[in-house]
Amino acid sequence: MELMNKLTILTDGAKYDAACTSSGADRPGKTVMAGCCHSFSADGRCVTLLKVLMSNNCIYNCKYCVNSASSDVARATFTPDELAELTIQFYRRNYIEGLFLSSGVVESPDHTMELMINALALLRKKHNFLGYIHAKAIPGSSPELIYRLGLFADRISVNIEMPSEKSLALLAPNKTKESILAPMRQIKNTLTDNTHALAQYKNAPKFASAGQATQMIIGATADTDYQIITLASALYEKYSMKRVFYSAYIPVMENSLLPAVASPPPLLREHRLYQADFLMRQYEFTSDEILSEDTPTLNPYLDPKCNWAINNIHFFPVNVNTASLRDLLRVPGIGPTSARRIVTARREGKLGLDELKRIGVVLKRAKYFIATKDNTTGLRLDKHLTVRALIDPKIFAFNTEQLSLFDDTPISPALPPAGALIPTGSGMLSISEAVEEAVLCLSAKL
Amino acid sequence: MSVGKALAVPGDSIFVYDGSFHGFLCCVYESVYSGVVPALIAVSGDAPITLYAVNEVETDTEKAERVLKSISKKISSEARNLIETVFLSCLKEKELLMLKFLLRAFREGGRLLTRLGDPDVAPLLKAQKHLLGEAHLLKGFVRFADYDGSLAATITPKNFVLPFIATHFTLRFSDENFLIFDKTHKAALVYQNRRREIISVDNIDFPIASEEELQYQAMWKRFYNTVSIEARENPRCRMSHMPKRYWENMTEMQD
Repeated sequence: MELMNKLTILTDGAKYDAACTSSGADRPGKTVMAGCCHSFSADGRCVTLLKVLMSNNCIYNCKYCVNSASSDVARATFTPDELAELTIQFYRRNYIEGLFLSSGVVESPDHTMELMINALALLRKKHNFLGYIHAKAIPGSSPELIYRLGLFADRISVNIEMPSEKSLALLAPNKTKESILAPMRQIKNTLTDNTHALAQYKNAPKFASAGQATQMIIGATADTDYQIITLASALYEKYSMKRVFYSAYIPVMENSLLPAVASPPPLLREHRLYQADFLMRQYEFTSDEILSEDTPTLNPYLDPKCNWAINNIHFFPVNVNTASLRDLLRVPGIGPTSARRIVTARREGKLGLDELKRIGVVLKRAKYFIATKDNTTGLRLDKHLTVRALIDPKIFAFNTEQLSLFDDTPISPALPPAGALIPTGSGMLSISEAVEEAVLCLSAKL
Repeated sequence: MSVGKALAVPGDSIFVYDGSFHGFLCCVYESVYSGVVPALIAVSGDAPITLYAVNEVETDTEKAERVLKSISKKISSEARNLIETVFLSCLKEKELLMLKFLLRAFREGGRLLTRLGDPDVAPLLKAQKHLLGEAHLLKGFVRFADYDGSLAATITPKNFVLPFIATHFTLRFSDENFLIFDKTHKAALVYQNRRREIISVDNIDFPIASEEELQYQAMWKRFYNTVSIEARENPRCRMSHMPKRYWENMTEMQD
């Protein structure tokens, strides 16, 4: 079947894009404001949207991309009708929450955008589609087309692709920093104007009500974690991004500038970056608190919040019965939900460990950093026990090579680089030995 | 409702009721006025054989409404909401736990609900969270098939979630006709000609799927299998987000 073939090719070309959320849109008929996952694929990623390309027939030659002009893959392009019908039929069966539409550059950026706009117009106007639409604006297309795309989409994004201009020039020679930042700026300004217009006129046309997002590729270039989260922080501030997505580079193209095709994607590093990103968005951390120029690499063994705790041990214990919400959020193991529950529950009496447990606070890590009614001074820190409790159990889910993939610059003066801990090759230390080593090093810091 | 009376000591009887929400409220009425806290509240027919005296509580709508009103008035509408939700949950011995909570809340007022860590409150909140969590997952995991223009789906949830997903699906499919069959609780949400109701039904025989329907199912499976990145395969992660017990009703998880 023709359509089945196209679907396969254009899904295969789109799958490396990380974003798949549907949160924040406000349309009649949409009752789940937070995202709604419809399935989870075998890689554990949430499937919310029909994530496809309009076309993979791309004229650009980005070195990291499977769809680049010189790449030897099957090519296909949806007609706007095919795509609209497929989306509607999937949506009716509750397979998806909506459409995530990106595209290779067919003929020219403007021509590509027109194809995409035609498909979205069919969906919204002919089929009365109320589901979510996330569209990728094509860098280099005219501002007029970006505006029209935004009128149909709930979220619109431009991929920043690489963490630095240097990397962009090296790997995506057809894209420039300016061709990416210009549409971002335009979207940001239109969003601001649109909010004002909507405040004045109820029927003002809505422009991308769920805001804009972006994505960058991690591990294809030498950029450090510090550079990456500083850039992310600036994107959140200057361009009012809703989300920055990080995509571990999966070597699909043979190129001397890129990691070899057989090397595994840096999933642990990507995981740590997302954690750092969450700290900035929901825990009121600044990028400077997470990393600095002297320690530009995220610690593989500890999540960034535990890492901050160990380096700021004078901040603890935090008294759960008196501390502010912001301070509660600094405790390893206490997230926004637990923190809010603590603040509610303590109005009706002081909290001890039993109460915290019943509230649903996970104490495995938190107990070393809090004072409660049964222990007003906090646990005396047993260095080894504490560190052992803090070490991220998730690192076991990644293979040992993930640890060695980290940059060889020392994580902190006291801790040898993870790469040095585990010699690659056959004489490899077991992961438990590596963890023992890390426990010793980290506890020496306390 | 008498509030000054001492809390009753655990009695040596069990209450048996008809399994309806009103029936449960009458058990609350019975307990408050007789001063007896039963050792167990069971649905007639499911009651275990015990040496306890069995008190068959009759369902009386008037009494039930009085109890319901006093929950809103003397405790809070939040408490009423909690009781109505937990009653539909799969919490074990939920009736007795709810009764114990209510007896205390009638004396202590709505403040009891902010004691999130209290042993009489925490299990109910947990059951409510479990039910709402399952309802949230099912908003995504329900899979419809098209039979001649109408949509139909089967679910097998642990909690009775139909009332909690009904609004979502009627808003989403306001122009369609659809049906969701809850096989576990033998009930169905039916939305037809812009009217919805939840009916009890033992079984539903679905017609054979059309050629077009099978094609869309095949394309959905193909999309699902293609969108996964092989180099990132992580079955444990998938399992924790999408527990196996939901797979039986999901198109993409069938071979």
